[in-house]
Amino acid sequence: MLTKKIRIIPDGKDNIYDTHKCRLLRVYNLTEMDKLFLFRFEDPEIAQKWNFKPGQFVEVSMPGFGEVPISICSSAMRIGFFELCIRKAGRVTTKIHELLPGTLVGIRGPYGNGFPMEKFWDKDLLLVAAGLGMAPLRSVFLYALDNRWRFGNITIINSAKYCKELLFDKELEALRDIAEAENIKIIQTVTRDSQCTGLKGRAHEHLDKVNVNPENCGVALCGPPRMYKSMFEELVKLNFDPRNIFVTLERRMKCGVGKCGHCNLGNSTSWKYACKDGPVFDYYDIISTPGMLE
Amino acid sequence: MRYVKLNKEKIFDFIEGLKAWGKLFAPKKISDKSVDFCPVIDVNEVVFDYHRTLMPPKKYFYHTKERLFTYDKDEVEMYEAFEDKGPIVLFGVHACDIVGLRIMDSIFIDDEPDPYYQRRRENGIIIGISCLPDEYCFCNVRRAEFVDKGFDLFLSEVPDGYVIRVGSVKGHKIVDQNPNLFEKVTDIDTEELVKFDKKKKSLFTVQGNWDSLRYNIELNESVALWERESEKCLGCGNCTITCPTCRCYDVKDYPNLDGVTGSRVRIWDSCQFRTHGLVAGDHNFRDTKLSRFRNRYMCKNAYCEQVTTAYCVGCGRCTNYCPADINYKKNLMEIQGDL
Repeated sequence: MLTKKIRIIPDGKDNIYDTHKCRLLRVYNLTEMDKLFLFRFEDPEIAQKWNFKPGQFVEVSMPGFGEVPISICSSAMRIGFFELCIRKAGRVTTKIHELLPGTLVGIRGPYGNGFPMEKFWDKDLLLVAAGLGMAPLRSVFLYALDNRWRFGNITIINSAKYCKELLFDKELEALRDIAEAENIKIIQTVTRDSQCTGLKGRAHEHLDKVNVNPENCGVALCGPPRMYKSMFEELVKLNFDPRNIFVTLERRMKCGVGKCGHCNLGNSTSWKYACKDGPVFDYYDIISTPGMLE
Repeated sequence: MRYVKLNKEKIFDFIEGLKAWGKLFAPKKISDKSVDFCPVIDVNEVVFDYHRTLMPPKKYFYHTKERLFTYDKDEVEMYEAFEDKGPIVLFGVHACDIVGLRIMDSIFIDDEPDPYYQRRRENGIIIGISCLPDEYCFCNVRRAEFVDKGFDLFLSEVPDGYVIRVGSVKGHKIVDQNPNLFEKVTDIDTEELVKFDKKKKSLFTVQGNWDSLRYNIELNESVALWERESEKCLGCGNCTITCPTCRCYDVKDYPNLDGVTGSRVRIWDSCQFRTHGLVAGDHNFRDTKLSRFRNRYMCKNAYCEQVTTAYCVGCGRCTNYCPADINYKKNLMEIQGDL
């Protein structure tokens, strides 16, 4: 019944909805709900040419269950491999959580614009994550570590509701030994956990502890819209340049290429697909495009 | 542009001749009130003077439900599925719908082409026809009452026949294949065309243009209109299904009974459905009916400036087919201050 691969348009490009096979190599448990998955491309040709920018996402395809858009959370320097941090939240992600190393999944992408890392060069770097927001920002952080000489001081604020929900907290803790020598400041905070021994409070409440110079600092934020609103307010107050503030948005991106319409938002002068024009937007995109922070 | 004249008595011969170019679809009466594009066997059933078809022509290029791939779960392999039904000819498409198709092209072909849509468009012949507006039409203020591209042939009515504009190479070939059907356009025909245009213009219930509507509609964020109108809305999605430029879709995997193989299918979605803005963790970016209702007005009127001034071409379908009698046109007139 199944036919061999055919091209709908014989002399055309590849079908934009087609997937590449990737093998799941390892699964790490991060929290009760989140796991980290390491994938490698099966086709060596694709493995060698496939690359991505921090902040971009892929569509993970589980034939029979569907596709989900997931941010890439690994370093862009490792050719042919990538990691995804996936929360068990819906039908497809639940299925992905059941996967064992060795199984294959389909991958499309990478999609989206990603963080403008070149724009951050020669600047300090402030990364602020809330909840799952650490997933895409880990990619940014690893990029900065891989290209350490290109950046000034780095502060990373990682926040979550509860201690056990902090993503990559151990990985960040492990950096503490070299943090001072490398001019990296790590701030991990929880908002609702009274049992926790570390810092308390929301991310913006810890902006007084950063080691970056507001006037020359790239800012990358990832978290729920509520966090963006409070961060914007605080950052502008502290003299951070709005042109250097970037956030990444979550939408139900079915296609990833600006066709299916689910992530369409905007108004007359600023009309965007979160999947194609984003998911990373700067401060002025956000304030001129209604619906982004709703 | 090349012009030829087709006399009225030869119109059915002309339509019959179109069958040689592909499967023929044309407007036919499907009920007392409705006309829709249907496959044509008997050319005498073709309706020429209709206001709008129930469904826009987009359905021939972007199917309501379409298999994109078949898959094999064990192999994790996707196999392209494309049912090539060969070329089709759409006869009797109005100008607004042709603009609608061009807007669809701007999304599905420009930038990254959607191969399914692109292949069908390449296989489609569009024969346009001139029309007169009814009370729901406002294509004039949308700058969609006239098209200069996007068709292979366009028939403009004159009392004793049609003046045909040839818009593509395929169009030339169709004309050249049956030279005895056509005659030269005379000065009288040209006069009649201008007369027809004048009459058409006078029949619209709203005049001018709505280029500034995009700004007025977004400034009107808090007006009572949104509450008043969205309260009536049933959230059925009729407006988006019948819209010539609505294109949201959902993708679903349908397993076969063997549990291993199946199909990846795309189905038209609607922003009027609650699930449209739903993301993981049950967060909904458009949680209220008002926000969904307003989203459609914003999408249709404030976005897009590539083909015309808006995604809305003023065909009047969403007003005509709304079961709750929400008058889209009137609402826009209210926002624009044209009431």
